[in-house]
Amino acid sequence: MGEETTPLLTVDNLTIEIAGANVVDGVSFTVARGEVLALVGESGCGKSLTSYAMLGLLPPAARRIAGRILLEGTDLAAMSERQLRKARGKDISIIFQEPSASLDPLTTVGSQIASAFRQHHAVSGTEAFARARDMLVAVGIPDADHRLHQYPFELSGGMCQRIMIAIALICGPRVLVADEPTTALDVTIQAQILDLMKQLVATSGTSIVFITHDMGVVADIADHVAVMYAGRIAEIAPVRDLFARPAHPYTALLLASVPRLDITPKANLATIEGSVPFPNEFGYGCRFASRCPLATDRCRAEQPPLFEQGGGHRSACWHINRVHELKENAA
Amino acid sequence: MLRYAGSRLIQAAIAIFGVLTIVFIVMHLSGDPTLLLVPQGASTQQINELRHQLGFDQPLWVQYVNYLKDLGHLDFGMSVVQHVPAAEIVASRLPYTMMLAAGALMVAIGIGIPVGIIMATGRGGWLEKVLAAIVLTGQSVPTFLSGILLIAVFAVNLRWLPTSGVGDIRALIMPSIALGAISMSTFARMTRIAVLDELSKDYVRAGRARGLSLGAVVFRHVLRNASIPVITIAALEIGNLLAGAVIVETVFAWPGIGQLAIQSIQSRDFLVVQVIVLLISCVYVLTSLLADFVYAAVDPRIRMVR
Repeated sequence: MGEETTPLLTVDNLTIEIAGANVVDGVSFTVARGEVLALVGESGCGKSLTSYAMLGLLPPAARRIAGRILLEGTDLAAMSERQLRKARGKDISIIFQEPSASLDPLTTVGSQIASAFRQHHAVSGTEAFARARDMLVAVGIPDADHRLHQYPFELSGGMCQRIMIAIALICGPRVLVADEPTTALDVTIQAQILDLMKQLVATSGTSIVFITHDMGVVADIADHVAVMYAGRIAEIAPVRDLFARPAHPYTALLLASVPRLDITPKANLATIEGSVPFPNEFGYGCRFASRCPLATDRCRAEQPPLFEQGGGHRSACWHINRVHELKENAA
Repeated sequence: MLRYAGSRLIQAAIAIFGVLTIVFIVMHLSGDPTLLLVPQGASTQQINELRHQLGFDQPLWVQYVNYLKDLGHLDFGMSVVQHVPAAEIVASRLPYTMMLAAGALMVAIGIGIPVGIIMATGRGGWLEKVLAAIVLTGQSVPTFLSGILLIAVFAVNLRWLPTSGVGDIRALIMPSIALGAISMSTFARMTRIAVLDELSKDYVRAGRARGLSLGAVVFRHVLRNASIPVITIAALEIGNLLAGAVIVETVFAWPGIGQLAIQSIQSRDFLVVQVIVLLISCVYVLTSLLADFVYAAVDPRIRMVR
């Protein structure tokens, strides 16, 4: 996690267009080996598109118009579909929000895990099944021999997500993209899955890009956090730094709106007025300006770059020195 | 699984019983059949004798019980025209219709399903538009017209195929296409919808994320999932083909049960008609039953309901 080491994954100036609007606009971040980067933001902020772009799995309507995705120096974005197929599942994997829907309902989970292994390794079916069994044990599924022969509908959502993790990790990828993997699960299961992921990162050294809108989950699992707003990175920081000293109004308001048990609320829970602008209303300036209490004319006219705050903490705001006012108001 | 099979069998039995009853009622709705059977100018006494001989003078419920009893002994009655058992007449024609239905089903499934898959996976491309036009044509042109057009082009003008009748395998080609065309379109449309529906599901994206090509995801996962609604259509279409055979067999002078049905209706040979109606109805019920078992084989969620 040192600043000096070359990052494992570098996303550089990723820009994705849908119907003429840049719904992901110049997104850049790096992930070190064994690190968990959380990509946080509201629905429609472009975090899922960013994650699909990393595997070359953008929906047909979306088009990557700029940017590089470097995995240890190899640009995934420059690869042909054929090369990408060799990388998917082997070098970079993804797990999704709806684990039960991500499995083929008519095939046993064992053969789905085994086929993920055989996709990238020339081994016999028996051998692949043995690997699948080991993987079930690794993701903490009891009674693996029995479970291998079960169908997805016989398993709970939490179990299915463990199966998805087993599929994603069986080829030992260097990066795991997790697209809201716990959103569809109830809270206790969510905690178990997060623990499992932390444990797997620690043992395998796989880096994780963890997409979520849940600040609680961020605090639990992330090393670094990138906060996205309307397709751009608003702020990126080590997790403790971000929670302690948010340097972007959006982050500050987002943190203020998280319900807390240790404070008796004086008033209603804080909310952020308004809603995320539609891509056709983005304009030239800061995309948060229409909802920002600190916004000035400059914010509406000119897009702020990411200002370095020291220690890898960067924020795209013209009024970083006034952000603390928001925090004091909210408290 | 046993319970599933048992309940389907009971349902099928009830359906067949219903069919038998409805056929009985329909046959008697048209009034006293005796009058249809006697020669012109028969005396009242002759009519009464025949009525008594056929049992039509008994109360309706007695006739119904006798009807069920006879069917129970597989006694379908005598053809009043040919004076041989009605079942024998139908049985002699049945192989031709089965041949024709098999040919038509091959056209319908063999062309319809691949076309549906191509239309779904190549969505928005030129190939989809061409195929959509063919499917629309197949669906819109009535069988009696397409049959005559086929004869005009391939038999009369090009002289590639015989115009009609039974012969070698070439005689089967045009009737199969004429009979299968509408069914082919149904299969193509249903397959397209089923495959598109499956393609939108998360497991397709998840499969691609493991390194499978879209084609591999389609062949390994999508087709099996999409087959369930298509099986339903297949069961219904087999019954429809037998019904459609009535027209095609007439157009192509094909000696199957469709042609027999028309002839028997014209000659008022109502017991032969009754056998044909019972046969087609039972085929409907049995293919639906078969489809239920195929579902269970394909889908563990159905197979494993306790």
